[in-house]
Amino acid sequence: MIPIEHYVILSAILFLLGGIGFLVRRNTLVTLMSIEVMLNAANLALVAFNRSRTWHPVVSGAPGQSHTGQVFAFFIIAAEAAEVAVGLAIVLSMYRLRRTVRSDEADLLKN
Amino acid sequence: MLSLFSPNDYTLIAVILGLPLLGAFVNGVWGKRLGKDAVRLMALTAVGVSFVASAAAFIGLWQLTELHKGEHVKLAWTAWEWMHTTGGTQNASVPIEVRFSIDQLSGVMMLVVTGVGFLIHLYATSYMADDDGFARFFAYMNLFIFAMLVLILGDNLPLLFVGWEGVGLCSYLLIGFWYENAANAAAGKKAFIANRIGDFGLLCAMFLLVHYTGALDWNGIANGAASLVHPGEQWRVHVWPLGGGQYTGMLHFLQPKNPVTISAATAVGLALLLGCTGKSAQIPLYVWLPDAMAGPTPVSALIHAATMVTAGVYLICRMSFVFVLSPFTMMVIAIVGAATALLAATIALAQNDIKKVLAYSTISQLGFMFLGVGVGAFTAGFFHVFTHAFFKACLFLCAGSVIHAMHSRIHDGDKSQDIRNMGGLRKWMPLTHWTFAAATAAIIGLPFTSGFFSKDEILYRAFVDHTVNPRAGEGLLAKAGVYEPPAWLGPALYWVALAAATLTAFYMCRLYFVTFWGEFRGWTIGRPSLLAKQELAHDHEGEHEHHEDLATPGYPPHESPWQMTVPLILLAAFSVFAGWLNPGFHIPKQPMDHWLEPVFQAASEGAVLFAHGNDAKWAEAMTWPLALGGLSAFAVGTAVAYWMYVVRRGEPARRIAEAFPALYRLVLDKWRVDELYENTVVAAVDSLAETAAAVDKTIVDGILARLTSLVVAAAGTILRAFQNGVVHVYAAMMVLGLAAVGWFFAVPHPNATVADAGNDDYVITAAPGLGYAYRWDADGDGKFEKDAFGGDTTLKLHIEPGKSQNVRLEVKNSFGLVAGKTIHVERPKPPAEQSASL
Amino acid sequence: MTTLGLVYFYACAVAAVLGALGVVVSKNPIRGAMGLLLLILSVAGLFLALHAQFLAAIQLIVYAGAIVVLFLFVIMLLGPSAATPNDRRGLVPRVFGGGLFALAGIGGIGLVVRAWLAANHPLPMPSVDPSFGGIDAFGSVLFADALVPFEVSSALLMVAVVGAVAVARGRQGEHTMSKSELEIARSKTVSTELARPRGSERSGVFSHEIDEAKESAS
Repeated sequence: MIPIEHYVILSAILFLLGGIGFLVRRNTLVTLMSIEVMLNAANLALVAFNRSRTWHPVVSGAPGQSHTGQVFAFFIIAAEAAEVAVGLAIVLSMYRLRRTVRSDEADLLKN
Repeated sequence: MLSLFSPNDYTLIAVILGLPLLGAFVNGVWGKRLGKDAVRLMALTAVGVSFVASAAAFIGLWQLTELHKGEHVKLAWTAWEWMHTTGGTQNASVPIEVRFSIDQLSGVMMLVVTGVGFLIHLYATSYMADDDGFARFFAYMNLFIFAMLVLILGDNLPLLFVGWEGVGLCSYLLIGFWYENAANAAAGKKAFIANRIGDFGLLCAMFLLVHYTGALDWNGIANGAASLVHPGEQWRVHVWPLGGGQYTGMLHFLQPKNPVTISAATAVGLALLLGCTGKSAQIPLYVWLPDAMAGPTPVSALIHAATMVTAGVYLICRMSFVFVLSPFTMMVIAIVGAATALLAATIALAQNDIKKVLAYSTISQLGFMFLGVGVGAFTAGFFHVFTHAFFKACLFLCAGSVIHAMHSRIHDGDKSQDIRNMGGLRKWMPLTHWTFAAATAAIIGLPFTSGFFSKDEILYRAFVDHTVNPRAGEGLLAKAGVYEPPAWLGPALYWVALAAATLTAFYMCRLYFVTFWGEFRGWTIGRPSLLAKQELAHDHEGEHEHHEDLATPGYPPHESPWQMTVPLILLAAFSVFAGWLNPGFHIPKQPMDHWLEPVFQAASEGAVLFAHGNDAKWAEAMTWPLALGGLSAFAVGTAVAYWMYVVRRGEPARRIAEAFPALYRLVLDKWRVDELYENTVVAAVDSLAETAAAVDKTIVDGILARLTSLVVAAAGTILRAFQNGVVHVYAAMMVLGLAAVGWFFAVPHPNATVADAGNDDYVITAAPGLGYAYRWDADGDGKFEKDAFGGDTTLKLHIEPGKSQNVRLEVKNSFGLVAGKTIHVERPKPPAEQSASL
Repeated sequence: MTTLGLVYFYACAVAAVLGALGVVVSKNPIRGAMGLLLLILSVAGLFLALHAQFLAAIQLIVYAGAIVVLFLFVIMLLGPSAATPNDRRGLVPRVFGGGLFALAGIGGIGLVVRAWLAANHPLPMPSVDPSFGGIDAFGSVLFADALVPFEVSSALLMVAVVGAVAVARGRQGEHTMSKSELEIARSKTVSTELARPRGSERSGVFSHEIDEAKESAS
């Protein structure tokens, strides 16, 4: 079996890439996609831990088998879908007003 | 009257006080809207009914006195309890109530204030009829009457002080009544400030009294007065070194051989005297009174002649039983009074403004009153207050009448009051003339007028009386040194007062002759027929001709209307005949003396001793020589004035003025006392104020305000660079914070607390953390107890007293990072054994 | 540790990393979206290896089937202006942020690797029965233990729908530019942006005071 650390390190690398992309790129769409990358990395870590550890089950499920991590990842996907929808709506709004998708054009709060 | 109210709850006092207050309130708030007639009615009614009520109360008091056969009785009324303070030797609670009382002394004063006040109000209704501030004037006047009554009727010092301040306030408001002129406002300010300096003295006296006697009302102070002259060292007031300390070290040279102390009575007396010199315009605080003539003449009559300025004398009479305990203070009062009398009389010689002459005359007469009370002749001094109210008010009102007449053609304020522009007014203003003459006769001491009796009594008593502490021979006090005024004081005071009396006669007659006799110098008086023709010819011109050509003939000065002349007549009558209330000259059964006897009983008990080998027989023998002296003062002064101003028509005066121009200038300039004060005291305060202003501008404004704002602005500029609106930058900032937090969690933090378990044992507990494992080195030798990292979080130690130990803790977290910390544990030595107590 | 399993893992891992790199690096957002798609597919594969079948299916349906499609819609809606020129403005905070993050991340990875290497005994993966990660197990958890988050996330989705419509709708009467105006506006913004002088702008309360002080001092 693949040791859990492989998955964790992979998740860390993906998170790192996503984070760097978010901080460095100025295109708002790319930023949003980088956020997706980061969330996927987190999902991966969650599911990996769910598989590797034997958590004490809370109420239901067979003893020694708990799906908490997977359910958590499920909800992350749901919330994150909502976030993408609203984020893209904002990008479209900004495009309509400023004709640009660059995030450093939106600096009306300067100073 | 007595049956209507009980003596301890004499509610009529509320009426006496309340009506002027109501009048002030109504006139002040709604006066303009009500109109002049209503204001007049309100003001006159307020004071008039107050006078009637005062008379009724006086009758009640008379009945009570008859009932109690000469005891010191009071009609009292307590309004409410004001506050408590602590005082006295046991630091007991001293209640201060708003309590008014009418006793023999305040009864007389009350009648004078309301009676003369009413007459002056009546006068003012005509005098101020053309003024826009009519309602305001009467509001202030009624407020003044109220405050004066509070002062007189107050049963304790704080309440008296309320009235004291109140009359000061009204004086300020009324002096500066025509405030558009800056000089008037400045005069008002000067009056208030000079009074304030005196009030400081009064406050100090109150503090001393409440501390020593444990009470602030008249009865209480009288009961506790013995503690004011206690000879014990701790009861005395330390003057040098101030406060009773010791000068040590660098200031050692200031320490005197024997500390200088004064009795508490002296301290209280001198403090009260300061207050009285402020209110009653004595040296050194008299400078405000001449300036106060900037106010309307009724104000001068009421406040600065009849009532307010006598408040100081009233206070001295009130506290007579305290003053006599300190002969030194009495001497000071007498000297101050005599000096002031003489000084003011000299200044009045050269003044040309009719009101200024009367102002200095007031100061001089107040000096006489102070002299009277200073030598222990309280009744005489107070009687002079009584008579002075009448004749001075009459003089001022006559002056007002004259000014009123002069104003018809001379509109300039200063010129209309200048006696050089007057003359021969007796032809056209007979009533004013005769009343002025009557009042002048009273003030100069024409025999059998009121002024004659009161002034002569003062002169007599100044010569013969000798005030010594009444308890001087008793017990402990015999050992204490009591100050005895020197023997030559009496005669010295007498001669000074005599000189002042002579000068009084002279300058008052000068004033009288120059104003009412001789030729009119104001403007040319035309013949009536000529004037009538002129009137028709110039009918179409406006009524107010502000640029009068005084060479063109005009109507003569006119007599004043009845509202002004009736008070004059009444006051003149009083000033002539009121003297018979206390004729002096050892005539038995003198009404005023007898009436006031219970009040001054404590003061007169042994306070008047004829020392230095004199006795009562000698005093009686001296009566006629001294009276002759007074008579000659009057005669000489009047005769010289007559000769100089009527016979020689002022020639000698002019020649003297030309012969000694510098001296004349100095006297005309009031001996330049004002300028002296201006250059010393006022300049010192001004320079202090300027220093403070400079400090404020440069240090506070310049450095503190500007510097802090610059710092804030700089910080803002720096911080603003972070806010450039770009999300990425904000995200970068967040990463910075995130990295710091991450570092904090990734790195292990060793921490431990040391707890004392008693019996020289210590327990060291390591702080917990996520995934931490611990390793201890208990004795600091580098070797760990257990090399492997384990989970034991505590370590027990035993340390001897006075010894210490270094413990090393190493922590490893789940990432395998290790960190260590050295803890120094020390048991302190127990405190050294107590040496055997001696 | 079967060879097939290892190969499978490494294949998916490499694909995931490549996909992430594609997202981050590519200039063309379409390329980025494709990278995202690759990432999602690889992560779905990894989920399968981790016995989370249902989640893998959900991942594919929701992520690849909805979210990536949404991204593509928006990119194509924006047209050519979706791709932005990469100039060097604002380089410092970006590099600083990215660099710091990278350092922190690499440090964190280093720590994990250290801990892993220092661990004496690798924890064994427990064996699971076939129903683990299946739809039945999932459902029994979702509608029992995780009921509240379930309901809340449904409310969240509704809010997101309303919010997205509200934000993207635009205001009444707002002027949407035509194509030629677009060109002019775009060229103008670029040129004005490049031409805008930096460093002389000051806003804020004290700017007039600073100007005054400068004037009075000069």
